[in-house]
Amino acid sequence: MNLDIAISGIGVVGGFGCGREALARALRAGRTPVGKASFMTPEGPAQLPAYLADTAPLERFVAKRELRRIDHFSRMAMLGGFLALEDAGMLEADRSRLGVVIATGYGASRTTFSFLDSIFDGGDALASPTHFSSSVHNAAAAHSSILLKATGPSLTVSQFEMSVPSALLAACLWLEEERVDAVLFGGVDECGELLHYCWQRFFPTATAETIRPLDFERQSAVAGEGAAFMLLTRSAGAVAPLGRIRQVLQGNAEGGVPALPGDAVLFLGADGHRECGAAYRGLPENALLATYAPLYGSLPVGPAFDLAVAALSCRENQLFPAPSGGSRGIGLQPEALAGRSICCLKFGTDGDFGLIRVEK
Amino acid sequence: MTTKDKLKHILIEELNLEDITAEDIGDEEPLFGEGLGLDSLDAVELVVLVQRHFGIEIKDMEEGRAALQSIATLAAFIDGRRTA
Repeated sequence: MNLDIAISGIGVVGGFGCGREALARALRAGRTPVGKASFMTPEGPAQLPAYLADTAPLERFVAKRELRRIDHFSRMAMLGGFLALEDAGMLEADRSRLGVVIATGYGASRTTFSFLDSIFDGGDALASPTHFSSSVHNAAAAHSSILLKATGPSLTVSQFEMSVPSALLAACLWLEEERVDAVLFGGVDECGELLHYCWQRFFPTATAETIRPLDFERQSAVAGEGAAFMLLTRSAGAVAPLGRIRQVLQGNAEGGVPALPGDAVLFLGADGHRECGAAYRGLPENALLATYAPLYGSLPVGPAFDLAVAALSCRENQLFPAPSGGSRGIGLQPEALAGRSICCLKFGTDGDFGLIRVEK
Repeated sequence: MTTKDKLKHILIEELNLEDITAEDIGDEEPLFGEGLGLDSLDAVELVVLVQRHFGIEIKDMEEGRAALQSIATLAAFIDGRRTA
């Protein structure tokens, strides 16, 4: 799908902090401090390294009292949304034709499993109605639409590793069809006790505290959570300082890797998961590539953060040093974007891929 | 801990009433509207919480309307059922 969609604002929250400037600082520093997530196992309390997001800044936009029934997942989404609108100078604008599209790999997993636990503990009669309403998959998009008074359509897309390109296709279609004037698009995923417990079971020997995304033989994923939102509008040839989305493509690389523009810089969605990492080995040897997962962590909606980094790169007309470094990463010093396009490329399991091409 | 005190702590904890302490909630203060400001979804949540924490079922709207006026009426309802 060939497009001309402008990125008009960015709103991000994650282990690196809150807001566009926090992400830019992490990009310049080339690192994000990794926190610790605590959880229970049958053997007792345990901890895993994790990139955790703080949603306290949401109180700048919404009264605390209004947030009491809104869970962590929705708070991250709402914070990302408000920040993107603020970045675009749209906080006070009419939002009657604003759509909301959210991509998520896991959804509101904490709330969903709390709701299920309440059924296991007390039967369906004692299940929490609040947890039920927040476990409905579109809850974060609905909360965002209600509080933002965005009366366009709202949608949540979950396709695990491919959630971001899949949801972005829907957002771009809405704009192309002129169904809406703008779309608040974002990816959000959260950490939680269940996720950490599963990680410990599935990757019992993986103890990495640093993601090594280009070391494809090694399981080095570190769980991350956060939200990366963008305000998207039809470009119509207008100036787009944060860049334009020119192509969104989904497919399967069974017959080979997708065709890429010769001079493109690849932002790989490799995030330390060995099973997905294998697919990146087939990329051309001379490809100029970078990975930024060590700044935001391993999470299904990582490509939304890569898209935010691509937008920042367009804004500053330079490529940020890739924290992964290595012979296949771009240099450790910033280098000029020099008119090249950026392709955010994510491989899932079984060769599925999603590609988002951005140009200044 | 009295039933009233236990109810106040349950309300604060389970309904996420941040910035409020048990001492801030008056026994006779209306739970809904101008009082504590709870709403209809809180009412449904409260019915579940009373059953979960006290093992007492609020069976219908008539019963609920009378019991859910304030901490004092709810505590009286619970204590009355316990001794019945």
